[in-house]
Amino acid sequence: MKELREIFGGRPLWIMVLLACPFVGYSFFQAVSLYGEASNAGQQSPALASSLSPFDGVIVPTFGSLYVAITLLFPFVAIRVLSHEKETGGLRLLLQLPYQSSTLVAAKAAAVFFALLFVCIPAVSAVVVWWLLGGHVFPREIFNLFLGYLLYGALVGAIALFSASISESAATAAIVTLAFTIGSWVLDFTVAGRSGLLDWVARLSLTQTLRVFEQGLLSTGVILGMLITASCFAALSGVWLNPGVRTRSKLARSVACVLATAITLGIASQLRLSMDVTEDQRNSFPLADSRLLATLAAPLAITVHLAPEDPRYADLQRNVLAKLERAMPNVTIRVAGGRRESSQAGDERYGEVEYTYSGRSDISRSTSHREILPLLYVLANVQSPAPIQGGDFPGYPLIADEYAALPWFFGVLPLLTILAWWWSRRPPNINFAHEGGSS
Amino acid sequence: MDGTSQAIIRDESMRREMSRPLCKITGLGKSYDGQLAIVDISFDVEAGEIVGVIGPNGAGKTTLLEALAGLVSADGGEVRWRGAPVPVSLRRQRIFYVPDGIRPYQEQYVAQVLSFFAGVYRTSASSVTKVIASVGLEPVLDRRVYTLSKGYGRRLLLALGLLSPHELVLMDEPFDGLDLRQAREIADVLREQTRKGRSLLLAIHQLSDAERICDRFILLSSGRIRGCGTLADLRARTNLPGANLEEVFLALT
Repeated sequence: MKELREIFGGRPLWIMVLLACPFVGYSFFQAVSLYGEASNAGQQSPALASSLSPFDGVIVPTFGSLYVAITLLFPFVAIRVLSHEKETGGLRLLLQLPYQSSTLVAAKAAAVFFALLFVCIPAVSAVVVWWLLGGHVFPREIFNLFLGYLLYGALVGAIALFSASISESAATAAIVTLAFTIGSWVLDFTVAGRSGLLDWVARLSLTQTLRVFEQGLLSTGVILGMLITASCFAALSGVWLNPGVRTRSKLARSVACVLATAITLGIASQLRLSMDVTEDQRNSFPLADSRLLATLAAPLAITVHLAPEDPRYADLQRNVLAKLERAMPNVTIRVAGGRRESSQAGDERYGEVEYTYSGRSDISRSTSHREILPLLYVLANVQSPAPIQGGDFPGYPLIADEYAALPWFFGVLPLLTILAWWWSRRPPNINFAHEGGSS
Repeated sequence: MDGTSQAIIRDESMRREMSRPLCKITGLGKSYDGQLAIVDISFDVEAGEIVGVIGPNGAGKTTLLEALAGLVSADGGEVRWRGAPVPVSLRRQRIFYVPDGIRPYQEQYVAQVLSFFAGVYRTSASSVTKVIASVGLEPVLDRRVYTLSKGYGRRLLLALGLLSPHELVLMDEPFDGLDLRQAREIADVLREQTRKGRSLLLAIHQLSDAERICDRFILLSSGRIRGCGTLADLRARTNLPGANLEEVFLALT
């Protein structure tokens, strides 16, 4: 409770929510407007109409504004939980209480998480507004997206707590945290799509973690990875919290923490279990093919003669390889030849993809499942399945009045925020009965 | 061994334990960036006494208290509690430190801060009420901490120290910001605490305040102890039989 009082008693949280209201509102306004234009064109073309997904057209762009808010503004909210206490001297009292540092950090992390939930209110309300405007909502994919943003926010919060624990001032902690978050943006722009070490470095970007959820995938590996990383930063906060512990001891504990995290991340990265939660099942093969592929128990080995930065590899990965990994129980993928220049120059096989199943192999240069799946069925000596009728994604075109949402985001929600802030500042009614032991 | 012999041995070991100082500090030292802040600090604190750490600004008083409380890592030395060594990680079980110059939880109401600490230490409502009355915080319970004057801020910190159950409480400049009448009232409150068996180690730079309240004195200058004992002991050491604490301090430092 004390930590909640501290975080909700400070201005940064309320200012962030007040800023988020019009920011999310404008993103929603733009998204609904553009979706309406596409829907208008869809009225002339049934094929276009059937591809219109509110998740891609409205929900993801709206939540994109939440991403910016969490990346740039949430660090200041999370940092305050620890930095303010350090600067005002409260930490010297807190460290003397009969709690371990881990308990203190856990309490602060819980308060940061509650603040994160509060910050998400404008974005969540956008989903409700879309529904009220007559828009289609598929809960599973929206919950998955929201889960991704909660995990992302928790990760940013944990980094902020760690920064605050090692920094003498809130300003320094903010710089350190923004170096992580904005640095991730830079990584994402500059080194994504490269091969080798750069590819490995690009995967460290915080932004990459959100992409999985925006694509409608529920990936246990990514979820565990984010939870483990956030826990690592929170643990490091506890290690560095107490100024009475020698630096050498703190460094030793930090190394142990990082090593344990690296090991568990390595284990988590082996977990390839993911689920396609999108309504149009864009991350999966057609249903009949998915069912048949699930029955092919023998190992499928795929050797790709493409450089990872080749756009054809990205197509192949998206349209075939990732879907095969989800559909079949035993798939191994090897990329042969990492450098595009050397592969193109001397490798006649560049561009080929070799599929080996039950001792039989075949080669294809296609990146479409329409050519690959029949090839696999031949290797597996099974008949291509008959398509299952019905259940196709119908598309949800909608021309909604985007202006109807503006009063909510620019008027009502900010007013409610101000009222909530005013209500939170009311004097307490305390009679000095026990409040309980922990914060 | 029969029951009577066992009881005698138990009583004897209790007597031996009670005769040991409450807290014994030996060879405590701390430096910052090569600059010695405190050097080879050794003294005892007995149960139910008020010990004053006296010295000018920069003498090392705050460093001594923080090193003792475990809030800064000492370079060396040992702290024993009734004869048993107390590692830094367990100091907070024995010792509570009330810092100087802090204004924590500024956005919270005074009542909320007191309630939080009372809840942590499971202090009874009647005890909390007594502490509030003793330090005179009733008029400001419904005010936010950042609105408090220096004096009331100091009283709030003192209240937090008194709410703790620890046998030894360290206070850095407990009378700072208080006028003469307020200082005397607080001195009476602190004396009352020692009658209940609590010990206090007070860092004070105003010698008149220290002389009024403390049972024993540790004279600190440039990080070293220059004298230790009651005023009578210090007078005898300096051969100044009628001297006040200020004169004794000047003679020894």
